[in-house]
Amino acid sequence: MTKPKVGFYGLTGCAGCQLSVLFSEDEIVSVLGLIDIVSFPFIREKNIDQHFDICIVEGLVADKHDLETLKKLRENSSILVAIGACAHTGNVPAYRHYTLKENYQHLLYEKKEGIQDIDPTPLDSWVKVDYTIPGCPPDKREIMNFIKALLLGKEPLTYSSPVCVECRRNNNLCLLEEGKLCLGPITRGGCNSVCTNGSFECWGCRGQTDDANIPAFVALLQEKGFKREEILKRMREFVGLKLPESTMVFFNGNNNA
Amino acid sequence: MATYTVRKLDLRSLLQKIMQSSELIAPVKTDLVRFQVVEDPHDICLTEQSFYPVKEFIFRKHEVLVSFNGKKVITPVLEPKERVIFGLRRCDLNAIMHQDKALIEVDVNYRAQRQNLTLIGYHCNEAPSQYCFCGTLELKDFYDMMFFDRGDEFIVDVATENGSRIIGKYPEFFRKSNHKVTEADKKIKNADRLFKTDISKLYDHPDWQKGVDKCLSCAACTSLCPTCYCFEIKDEVSIHDTKKVDRVREWSSCQLKGFSRVAGNHVFRDNRKERFKHRIYHQLDYFKKRYGINMCVGCGRCITACPTRIDFVDIINGMK
Ligand code: SF4
Ligand code: SF4
Ligand code: SF4
Ligand code: SF4
Repeated sequence: MTKPKVGFYGLTGCAGCQLSVLFSEDEIVSVLGLIDIVSFPFIREKNIDQHFDICIVEGLVADKHDLETLKKLRENSSILVAIGACAHTGNVPAYRHYTLKENYQHLLYEKKEGIQDIDPTPLDSWVKVDYTIPGCPPDKREIMNFIKALLLGKEPLTYSSPVCVECRRNNNLCLLEEGKLCLGPITRGGCNSVCTNGSFECWGCRGQTDDANIPAFVALLQEKGFKREEILKRMREFVGLKLPESTMVFFNGNNNA
Repeated sequence: MATYTVRKLDLRSLLQKIMQSSELIAPVKTDLVRFQVVEDPHDICLTEQSFYPVKEFIFRKHEVLVSFNGKKVITPVLEPKERVIFGLRRCDLNAIMHQDKALIEVDVNYRAQRQNLTLIGYHCNEAPSQYCFCGTLELKDFYDMMFFDRGDEFIVDVATENGSRIIGKYPEFFRKSNHKVTEADKKIKNADRLFKTDISKLYDHPDWQKGVDKCLSCAACTSLCPTCYCFEIKDEVSIHDTKKVDRVREWSSCQLKGFSRVAGNHVFRDNRKERFKHRIYHQLDYFKKRYGINMCVGCGRCITACPTRIDFVDIINGMK
């Protein structure tokens, strides 16, 4: 079997996703035996002018340069994979879409020549994305499973159950009972409930499940004393532009409920 | 078989002794009460119902069924160590019996976990949780030994060879008693909440919707249920050698959409209502049709743990 040529690339982001890949120290050596990593900005040159069988992109589009790079990567790649919450949803930076410019203008970098700002957007706002590995940061087992599935010619499976499933399997005390605003019941798991294992509530970085019962969940949180605005804010924080239409409609439609 | 008494003062020393030759599993309280391997008998908590059940020690969360090493299929060798579980309530014990009915003959891994296992109960005088409803569920006596709490002492009913062996090993703690354990001893106060145990004709009742509307499909109920045994099977390929594969079994839940996903990506229990009712009907109808006894043991954990406190007992009781 010829080894597939794999490129990693980072657009605007914190590079944490690339670090999650690097941190798989037990596996990385074996992985290198299976794939040919032709570009990895952290450890190698980043040459985007070549063909990739698989190109794994982290970060989001925040300026003209990102956009040009992304389009080029798409053209050059057979399979394009969005890795991490920024590439998947727009993550925290996309929150800009929900607030007025005067609230954040003073925080922006001084406009230097050459920077042409674009409102932060996930990859699939611009190009076709073949697969997504969610999470902020993504889970290393999921990255490995994804690579294995592609190598074996299987369709990679995305974990679809809520975080609560893993959280209960880990025998945790439920943080909702502690009065914390945990988004576990409506958030796609696969992270092994890493946050709630450490008593930190789930902020929903992997995106909503397609089975979320929003009216019941919001009613529960309201009974526990949370306000609709804070619930919506928490739900938006990490899912950027990927808050489902139905959730938006729910919040817009019942502002006084 | 026989009845003994044990002084409460001596309980910890007895357990300490047991720990010298077996692994001891019992309810331990930290932020919650969970069954766990005991390090110090002082940590054992008998005043509350355990929030998490004992299930994971027998029907394990993640288990390799077979492996393929690139050449042939290998079945794992299972050599369960000597284990004693102490502090099982009547519901917990019956839950083991019900899982036995479904799994012990057909599931090698489960059967292995049931070997070298001694089950010691702690009988409830009164329901420890407001959600308990074992009283109307025809639970059976299923234990090696049962401890009945009588203030300064326990009355200990020994039911099996396994139980007698403990007496034989640590005779200094047990005094022979003439007391015969009666139905009155086994009566549990405030555990008779469920009035209707036959729900076979209620499947289309509109009141199920009250539960469905509040259900988040989070599967807390099935994870914490001591009788639930849904699982999924997947192949885990080694990244170090892609010819090596473990076929593993992991807990799953009928409350999850993905659970009924089949080839071609078809989900045959897509609808939340069907999933919600499936759990209750498995517990209080389908299992009985197959094994002659309700699967549910009335421990109420699925209600205690449900984030929205859906109480199917209330829903059923209210059905006209
Ligand atoms: S802590 Fe959060 S993730 Fe865990 S069970 Fe509770 S709601 Fe679910
Ligand atoms: S259901 Fe409650 S009262 Fe009944 S045996 Fe279990 S813990 Fe005790
Ligand atoms: S615990 Fe409650 S909300 Fe969660 S799936 Fe079960 S019934 Fe539904
Ligand atoms: S269905 Fe609920 S009450 Fe019945 S055994 Fe399971 S957790 Fe206990």
